[in-house]
Amino acid sequence: MAASVQTIAARSSVRPEAWLWRGGLLGIWLLLLIFIVYPLLMLFSRAFLDDGHLSLQALGAAISAPKNLRALGNSLLLAMMVGVAGTLLGLIFAFTVERVRSARRVSRLIDFFTFLPLISPPFTTSIAFVFSFGPRGLITYELLGIKNVQVYGLTSTFAAETLTYFPIAYLALRPMLASISTSLEEAAFSLGGSRWYAFRTVTLPLVIPALANAFLLLFGCSLADFATPLILAGSDFSVLPTEAYLQITGLFDLKSGAILSLLLLVPAGLVFYAQERVVAGRSYVTVTGKAGVLAQHDSVSGIAGAVLLGFCLLVSALIVYFYLLLFYASIVLAFGANHTLTLDHYRVIFSEGLPAIRDTLIIALIGMPLGGIYGITIGYLVGRTTFISRKAMEAVSMLNYALPGTIVGIAYLLAFNDEPLALTGTAAILIACYVFRYSPIGIRTTVALLQQIDRSMEEASASLGAGSLTTFRRIMLPLILPAFFAGLGVVFIRSMTAISATIFLVSINWTLITVKILENMTEVALGPAAAFSVFVIVVVVLVTSMLNVLLQRLTAPSLRVGKIGA
Amino acid sequence: MGSRAIAGERADAFPRIDRRSLVLGALAAPFVIGRAQAAESLKAYSIWPENYARPMLEAFEKASGIHVNFIRFSSGEALARLLAERGNPQVDVLFGGPVETFTAGEEQGIFEAYVPPSASDLPKRFKSAQGMWTAIADDPLVFMTNTKFLQEHNLQPPASWDDLLNPAYKSMLQMADARTSGTAVTRIFSILQVNNRNEDAGFAYMKKLRQNIQAYTKSGGGGTVPVGLGQAAGGIFFIVDALFTKQKGYDVQISFPKEGIGSAAECIGLVKGNKNGAAARKLIDWAASPDMQSLLAPSKINFLPAHPKVAPDPDLAAVLKQAKIIEIDDRWAGDNRKRIIDRWVAEVLNAG
Amino acid sequence: MAAQSIEIRLQGISATFHHERRGDITAVKNLDLEVRPGEFLTLLGSSGCGKTTTLRMIAGFQKPSSGRILFGDEDVTRLAANQRDIGFVFQNYALFPHLSVFENVAYGLRVKRQGAALIESSVDAGLRQVGLHGMDDRMINELSGGQQQRVALARAIAIRPRVLLFDEPLSNLDAQLRVQMRSEIVRLQRELAITTIYVTHDQEEAMAISDRIAIMDSGQIAQIGTAEQLYLRPTSRFVAGFLGSANLLRGTVVAAESAKTVIDILGHRWELAANSPVAAGRPVDAVIRPEALTLAKQGAGPRGRVESRTYYGDKAEYLVRVGDELIQAVQWNPSTEDAFCDGDQVCVQLPASSVQLLAVD
Repeated sequence: MAASVQTIAARSSVRPEAWLWRGGLLGIWLLLLIFIVYPLLMLFSRAFLDDGHLSLQALGAAISAPKNLRALGNSLLLAMMVGVAGTLLGLIFAFTVERVRSARRVSRLIDFFTFLPLISPPFTTSIAFVFSFGPRGLITYELLGIKNVQVYGLTSTFAAETLTYFPIAYLALRPMLASISTSLEEAAFSLGGSRWYAFRTVTLPLVIPALANAFLLLFGCSLADFATPLILAGSDFSVLPTEAYLQITGLFDLKSGAILSLLLLVPAGLVFYAQERVVAGRSYVTVTGKAGVLAQHDSVSGIAGAVLLGFCLLVSALIVYFYLLLFYASIVLAFGANHTLTLDHYRVIFSEGLPAIRDTLIIALIGMPLGGIYGITIGYLVGRTTFISRKAMEAVSMLNYALPGTIVGIAYLLAFNDEPLALTGTAAILIACYVFRYSPIGIRTTVALLQQIDRSMEEASASLGAGSLTTFRRIMLPLILPAFFAGLGVVFIRSMTAISATIFLVSINWTLITVKILENMTEVALGPAAAFSVFVIVVVVLVTSMLNVLLQRLTAPSLRVGKIGA
Repeated sequence: MGSRAIAGERADAFPRIDRRSLVLGALAAPFVIGRAQAAESLKAYSIWPENYARPMLEAFEKASGIHVNFIRFSSGEALARLLAERGNPQVDVLFGGPVETFTAGEEQGIFEAYVPPSASDLPKRFKSAQGMWTAIADDPLVFMTNTKFLQEHNLQPPASWDDLLNPAYKSMLQMADARTSGTAVTRIFSILQVNNRNEDAGFAYMKKLRQNIQAYTKSGGGGTVPVGLGQAAGGIFFIVDALFTKQKGYDVQISFPKEGIGSAAECIGLVKGNKNGAAARKLIDWAASPDMQSLLAPSKINFLPAHPKVAPDPDLAAVLKQAKIIEIDDRWAGDNRKRIIDRWVAEVLNAG
Repeated sequence: MAAQSIEIRLQGISATFHHERRGDITAVKNLDLEVRPGEFLTLLGSSGCGKTTTLRMIAGFQKPSSGRILFGDEDVTRLAANQRDIGFVFQNYALFPHLSVFENVAYGLRVKRQGAALIESSVDAGLRQVGLHGMDDRMINELSGGQQQRVALARAIAIRPRVLLFDEPLSNLDAQLRVQMRSEIVRLQRELAITTIYVTHDQEEAMAISDRIAIMDSGQIAQIGTAEQLYLRPTSRFVAGFLGSANLLRGTVVAAESAKTVIDILGHRWELAANSPVAAGRPVDAVIRPEALTLAKQGAGPRGRVESRTYYGDKAEYLVRVGDELIQAVQWNPSTEDAFCDGDQVCVQLPASSVQLLAVD
């Protein structure tokens, strides 16, 4: 098979019956309008309207206020640094796992280590950082004897965010590297250049679109990160999401909070736009050649490979250390003061914290299937069918995902607090927030999978007499099952670990574990905070493993794809 | 698992669920899932941390049979919530929290007047003139420092506001952020009061103090464990949080400035638009009276009782013996709260 | 223009791999091979026989677990692939998708840091040689399969390697293109006189293009020789059955002399101009190609019954049952008059020569 570029599977000409079609589209648009467009409109109106008049005065004041400009600048600087460092780190990991022979054996292990930060509740890295690198830090003071280290500020926030987010770059880059056939590197090598030359002139250019994509992903994540700076940035380094949060929750100033969050919208929007336009068009997809079961070309020399592997293991060890620290904090009475082992904290979270656990699990378990179904439905509509508002639907469905959580949270708070739709205080608002915010990953996966399925399959099914629902159920659904499971996984993981949007939405009736963790953190009840965190991690690992097993069992062997990861 | 390669056969294993009914059912579930309700119940936001509020509210339930559903917010967050929910109040009572939050709330009109019977026993500063809130405890501010740090730097526990300006404390102090914490507001007003309400003098001091700040924390007690661990050298906290830290086993020193330091009444208020008025009023009655406040000492909750008939815990009283507690005019504080906080944010927080 | 062609020698080459599930696999066992200077040698075999592994070891992509590889007098066993001065054409071409045709072909020359003018002329000449003149600026994904194949070829020869290695380069092309391309490859190779090793599983291809063919089975060379030698004088049942079709008939040697053997086969006494590998009285296998047999209504030879006739236009294939054996016979340029129908009784006339006798083990 000659090396070829991605061919976009043509749109299906098979349409479902008219009533189903129109009703379904209308229903979906209704959902999108209510849960995505309406809250954002409310946000804009609160920011720009004063008693019904368009007033840009508050916006002008906010934009020109030096502290806001500083926060914006800090946010951008931090995001830039995290984007670069995280992408580089992710590339090193991806390259090591894919190309260094001695790393093959430990690749599973590395996968797991890099999986951990992705499923962790907020503050995990931050807490560990403070304990390790602070003035009395375990590493800086106890181990290395350095005194008076400043742990709060840009450096720590940057380091913590890089370690938290680089797995995203790793997950984005690894399949890319895997898809670049080693025969390309062999060809380059056989033509005489050194390994480094081959890497530089062949591998690297082919990975650049994926690198750019990873950078943008990380940039966006850092921009929206609310939890890490809350702990680590200190008072000298303010960033926008935290500022917006403090404006609202501290100064009960919804208007300024809304405006600040909109300031965040600009870079976030640009990033998203860049991702969609600049990167998507330039991917080179190659077809792997003869899968030499026994192919053994070394892309890196032995020494270089050992160095890379060693570095990756070092970073992984650091990550593991953080989690061990977390676990340790959960089983001692008072970390730093009283190191008696105890299960007291776990007792506390299962008694006093039980409502939060119950609430979070209920919300996660309800949101999960909703998110999965929503994901493949929109994915199918957008990726496979034609209708007038298709492009618009695609864009709108991505909105809540593209925006920083703070914006979405504030928007929901404004939109659903009063009539016509008073949803605050219910689980519905939390579920809706999660579903509409995180399903886009399921949507994208569905679209990607659909692109690999030729439309003639649906046509064949139709020619055999099957209606559209039957075709969808018996042909398409099994083939996009991995996307469904991806959607399930993401919504579940996020429901268990997200905070930046939903911190505005908790209520007496429904509270979340992550909010409890924050509360415990701020009340410096570290034991329960750590215990909650460990609980969340265990539950998430269990559920995603179960989902993976289920997916493997339900998928026909010939269609097996990779794990659910992020 | 079999070796069937035809996807179609797999699809037959798929359950036949009508997608739409699944969605509707799922959306309806939260409204339908019942919550265990006691005979009578009410909802509250508590500014007191869980480990203080829970025992008290459980005692209330035991005494009255009324169950209190509560969620904890810091003072700024609670106030913001109540304001945002004004059109559709979600709770009946605001439980605990420093007085300055309540006066600010009173100004915004989020409370409904209710005066519990025991209010007549209380001095003026422990109740709102319009009856919008009543004090249930008193909480002085203290200086708390890390013992080891003092030893290493050959310092005495700070006995004056100016002691905190010592360069030895550079970037080693943690205290609360005024945007979210009542502790901070009380602290700021103490400083102003000590300077005889000369705002410029007070702010000049706070700007100097800024040099020594490691972090402003979201909640009042946020800096206690860092100080306990030695990550920070010291800070200014409510006595209840400081003593709690000591009780946990951290090695810290508690001291007071000779110029005087303020104290904040901890209050309770009835939220306007509440839905469980009778139960809420019972809670306020109970909390404002010796019924609750006599439980503080045995529970090792280090608030000073507000009701004169309740004797403070002897250990607590001993700690406070050397303290000079000055009175902050709550009315003046309430009127100027926003302005002072804004000025603090602009001149002190962002000066660094 | 071409440098002196070199000889390639493999001595005692083995390749053992450890597979995580299947344990140790020996892909190549103690292989010896000598490729003459300028020769076009094909490694032929079915998948799993070790031909690709052998090729990759020659290229340097795989380290042999034992043995030596020599290019001319130079022991290259320890040498990395990028230092062996080879040209490798991959099955999937492995063209660089982000580089133009020109840049792909120029890649190896740039590595050598040749001057721009020299590169320009070399690439130009190379593209001309493969018939892609004027396509310099095209991107790889704009080319058809056949064109991509040519670019891969041009890239490999642009650097004037001392060894050319092909890994089933035509298997992704359709039949007509394959035939066309293989004659071009041969033509080019003759022109450049570079020692070439070619791997394929397609016998027809192998026979059409090679100077010599090495048939491989289970990691070893079953037999090496010209197409004619392999076809007419196979030394094993495997080789006999591998190239084309063959009838393997069991018989007994009656008399064995030099260049003449009499065997008892199919109940018939038969005199052959062939050497017997065994003494009289011993059993022997006769390898008889279908086209060597003649079918007639009457004649000398064993009699049998026609079981099937398949007509192909240029030939007709017959399956004839003689005693216990089912014999394949081919009639070229068949006419309806000569045709036999199913069930007909025919006489199978055995050839007097063009028969290989194999010992029975």
